[in-house]
Amino acid sequence: MSNRAELIESGKPFAFDAERDAEFERLAKRYPNRDSLILPSLWLIQDQQGWISVESIAYVADRIGTFASQVYEVATFYTMYHLRPMGKYHICVCRTLSCYLLGKQQIVDYLQQELGIRPGQISEDGRFSLEEVECLGHCGSAPVVQINGEFHENMTVDKFKELLSTLK
Amino acid sequence: MADTIKLSVNGVEVEVQAGKNLVDAVAAVGIEIPHICYHPALGADGNCRMCLVEIEDGRPPLVPACKTRAVEGMKVRLDSEKIKKIQRDIMEFELINHPIDCPICDQAGECILQDYYMKYDGAQSRMRVPQVVKGKKIDFGAGVVHDQERCVLCARCVRFTRLITKTGELGIVNRTDQARVNIFPGRPLSNRYSLNVVDLCPVGAMTSSDFRFKQRAWFLTKSKGICHGCSKGCNIFIDHNREKYQDDIIYRYRPRHNEQVNGYFICDAGRMTYKQENEKRLRTPLASGQQADLESAINALKRRLDQAANPFFVVSPNCSLEQMHAIQQLAAQKKATVSGFSEGYIQEGDGDDWLIQDDKAANRAAFAVLGIDETKEVFNSALKGADLVVNFGNDLSLSGVNNTSLGTAEMAFIGSYANSCADAAAYLVPVASYSEDSGSIINVDGVLQRYETAVKKNVPFPNMLSVIRQLGGGLDDVQAARTSLGNTVEAFKKLDLQNIPAQGLALTASEVGNVTA
Ligand code: SF4
Ligand code: SF4
Ligand code: FES
Ligand code: FES
Repeated sequence: MSNRAELIESGKPFAFDAERDAEFERLAKRYPNRDSLILPSLWLIQDQQGWISVESIAYVADRIGTFASQVYEVATFYTMYHLRPMGKYHICVCRTLSCYLLGKQQIVDYLQQELGIRPGQISEDGRFSLEEVECLGHCGSAPVVQINGEFHENMTVDKFKELLSTLK
Repeated sequence: MADTIKLSVNGVEVEVQAGKNLVDAVAAVGIEIPHICYHPALGADGNCRMCLVEIEDGRPPLVPACKTRAVEGMKVRLDSEKIKKIQRDIMEFELINHPIDCPICDQAGECILQDYYMKYDGAQSRMRVPQVVKGKKIDFGAGVVHDQERCVLCARCVRFTRLITKTGELGIVNRTDQARVNIFPGRPLSNRYSLNVVDLCPVGAMTSSDFRFKQRAWFLTKSKGICHGCSKGCNIFIDHNREKYQDDIIYRYRPRHNEQVNGYFICDAGRMTYKQENEKRLRTPLASGQQADLESAINALKRRLDQAANPFFVVSPNCSLEQMHAIQQLAAQKKATVSGFSEGYIQEGDGDDWLIQDDKAANRAAFAVLGIDETKEVFNSALKGADLVVNFGNDLSLSGVNNTSLGTAEMAFIGSYANSCADAAAYLVPVASYSEDSGSIINVDGVLQRYETAVKKNVPFPNMLSVIRQLGGGLDDVQAARTSLGNTVEAFKKLDLQNIPAQGLALTASEVGNVTA
């Protein structure tokens, strides 16, 4: 596993925008224990700026009223939180059993060649980032790819070719 | 006497206190259950599994002893092959990525990994792949330097900052073999008890920048003492050593457990007061403003005191009960007023609701018990008429008394630490400080405690009691002072001052408030 312990500073202060702020307040009412807000708050950050910076963790910790060290723990524990900026299109290819058997590797090989990046990397132009992930829960339509959270099922290299052209 | 229960350990019946977990219960009768993450002040976390024991006929048959309450009739097994294998496996697991840099590690000699390896493991490493490399000498703030590679992830330090100080600076970030203790960027350790994580850490992962690389643990003599940093009187270990051709000096203070006073911890400021024991010391005796040897200085002061028309004694709130008592007796003999004026030792608002107290003096409570006045009025009026002020260690500059306000009176200073009062003294007698002397003090909560001589200097300073005796006092030594205190002071008449229990003696409110003249 890679070293996800190092956080990065974005260099600018962070605050929720109006929409996330409202969502945060809505969620706050839902949990008897404010520490429970850590996970959804991290999602809100990622939703807003694409990744989770030092500043945003500090912001959320203070907002929740918990220790920054505790939010830091959670953010680095779950691999679906991005601790550095990702490509404009973040491609997750499932590598677990069903997808594996039904040819996820061809897709990964194709993407490596086409985008010039290996899993865990970001293309130089910042457009794409590639990641292999564990089961996405859509095994029935394996192999499965997720791009910016959106599912693409029964993927093939041909289908991906078409898809990529729309993502330029 | 608390309730006891009977249970068997390895087939032998033992009687232990009820209501405790297995680790503590059987430790009290001398049986060790190895444990890493459990600490009595932090509770059981159950993360290390080193304490697993077998319970015969138990369900489940294998339990972490730290999280299991000792109950009547329990049959505990520590000596089965299964348990021994678990202990070996846990040790192997802890050591997979451990750097084993014991030769340069401060903890060596008092390290749980070393001790348990020798006792419960002893196996060769089977590691044939490169170790995981992590951060070394990371500055966590507050004088704590962290070595991520040595860490066994017991989370004691993390739990300390979350449960005890409630400041939460530390966390365990990332996971699997990349997990490590860290601070959040820009939020270092910043509580006044931070250095306790160094003691809590069972390995050499938390080190003190002050102590780092200064001494090997096995060279240190670990003497019991009491911190004089404030009126709490936390129990400490005074770790000192006389290196070849050197003097006996102190290298660190560490907390010593006393449930009645400080629990398992001390504050950082108090921990650092060991420095003044080594450094801030008075060394050169003076007689009439001239450097002199000790005997001449004391004799000169005695002559001066005998001639004094109006001597005035000032006593420090850090003097021991025995010293104060001897000072009072000498004062009665010389018809001197005694004042304990020392309001400057009190830093209003500095204390907290745990250990740290506003009052930075260790024995002010004794003033009330012995009837020593500490008001400014008495101090000022006594000063006005005095021709000789004999100051027993009181740093009056703290209380806004500078040397010019002392007027024309001549100054004598009998104390341990340099300060401006000592600078102005015509007669100066350096004496042993509390780490080199024995005495009794009463803390802010009315707990009477005793400390014994820890450090023995190559050329010992005389203790204050012997100086007072040479000035004409009638008490031979601390024993005599204690007997005399017991005979003359109301509060001590029923107590045995020679035998104060190790955890101190809680005086009743009436005893502490008792004023005898
Ligand atoms: S630094 Fe020490 S106390 Fe903290 S988790 Fe590591 S081994 Fe435990
Ligand atoms: S709280 Fe007071 S007595 Fe305790 S260690 Fe700190 S200074 Fe010393
Ligand atoms: S295995 Fe790929 S979605 Fe489940
Ligand atoms: S001491 Fe019991 S699990 Fe660590």
